[in-house]
Amino acid sequence: MMKTVFALACLLAASAAADVCFNDVSNECGRNTNSLALPSCNAVYGNFGRQGNVANELQAYANLHLRRSYEFLLSSAYYHNYQVNRPGFSKLFRKLADDSWAKTIELIKHVTKRGGTMDFHSRSPQEATEEKNNTIELQELESLARSLDIQKELAERAFFIHQEATRNNHKTHDPEIAQYLEEEFIEDHAKTIRDLAGHTSDLKQFITSNGGNDLSVSLFLFDEYLQKIA
Amino acid sequence: MKTFLLIVATVLAVCSSAFATQCNVNPVTIPKQWITMSQGCRGAVRKQVQMEVAASVQYLAMAAHFSKDSVNRPGFAKLFFEASSEEREHALKLIEYLLMRGELTTNVTSLITIRAPEHKYWSSGQAALEEALKMETEVTKAIRNVIVKCEQDREDNDNNDYHLVDYLTGEFLEEQYKGQRDIAGKASTLKKMMDRHSALGEFIFDKKLLGMDI
Repeated sequence: MMKTVFALACLLAASAAADVCFNDVSNECGRNTNSLALPSCNAVYGNFGRQGNVANELQAYANLHLRRSYEFLLSSAYYHNYQVNRPGFSKLFRKLADDSWAKTIELIKHVTKRGGTMDFHSRSPQEATEEKNNTIELQELESLARSLDIQKELAERAFFIHQEATRNNHKTHDPEIAQYLEEEFIEDHAKTIRDLAGHTSDLKQFITSNGGNDLSVSLFLFDEYLQKIA
Repeated sequence: MKTFLLIVATVLAVCSSAFATQCNVNPVTIPKQWITMSQGCRGAVRKQVQMEVAASVQYLAMAAHFSKDSVNRPGFAKLFFEASSEEREHALKLIEYLLMRGELTTNVTSLITIRAPEHKYWSSGQAALEEALKMETEVTKAIRNVIVKCEQDREDNDNNDYHLVDYLTGEFLEEQYKGQRDIAGKASTLKKMMDRHSALGEFIFDKKLLGMDI
């Protein structure tokens, strides 16, 4: 008997939680006014709207992609000036810029899909408060190193948000976000990072072999190679 | 003394990327007479790049607003996401032009700064279209000012950059005027539809923007 009452109470509580929009509608439609306030009729469910949350991280992640996208765009431009003149490197950075731009738009769409409001000021507590004054005018190996670091930053931020979203019984558990990150971000990151790391290994060998005498021609040929694959 | 000089030279070589390190090739200098953009004109184009990027971010904010569950205008969101990517393309075209003319060998990092957009709320689709039209008008005016500067740079013997002026007039202004006409047409149609059936008018117009017939 006690068990049945408890179960019934649970069921009532559950249905109350699920019917808040319906309740809003019932209450508001019965009133004789010309306005309808339906605060609970929104797309927010689960833990997405709570404090300390995945929602803010996702907005900060969109802003991070936006900034990195334009940094890659400038790298791509720099490598296409007549002095540096490495069209292969330029193409590589352009692809990273375009990918990051597309992800910015995707993330903004996903924030709003889950009932959030995109805030372009959002920053993650994971980020250093002051960004170092990074110049993008770097030589070949340096710029590959910087790109590798940025891609790892993006990948590890996805891991962080994923971790927040998958901590069971925690206030931020959100399997939809976890799944979204895995499918749209985490899979691609591994390949991008591996490719960039591979490029740095190749360059390293060109630099050290034959007393450095091959470097000039190696960089030229490696750039030709990047034009083909990027 | 010689050893000291050698040490100084080594330190300089390590500190400055203008010298070769073991990882890069020594930069070379080739004749620069072919680089003929005037300083004022170059500065004006650089500023225009930043303006196009700022417009691109502002359109992102518009798209984000119309994507919200409480606003729910996916057609407007689509229009503004596309406008945002278009502005980015304009910035890219200007950058490619500068590169063709031998520019952007230095001061590349400071070319673009990302700032959060100024506006983030619009009371209606109509308000957003009118703001978009205002923004495009400002961009057009700015391009005209770049043309004025590059057609007669008073700080550089009245230098006339014929080719850039032609490019900006033929390609950029053409696209601006077409774009403005398009937004103006949309704003007029929407305003007529809103006249007596505002809720339904905006709903139907939004679906039309989405490419849907209802």
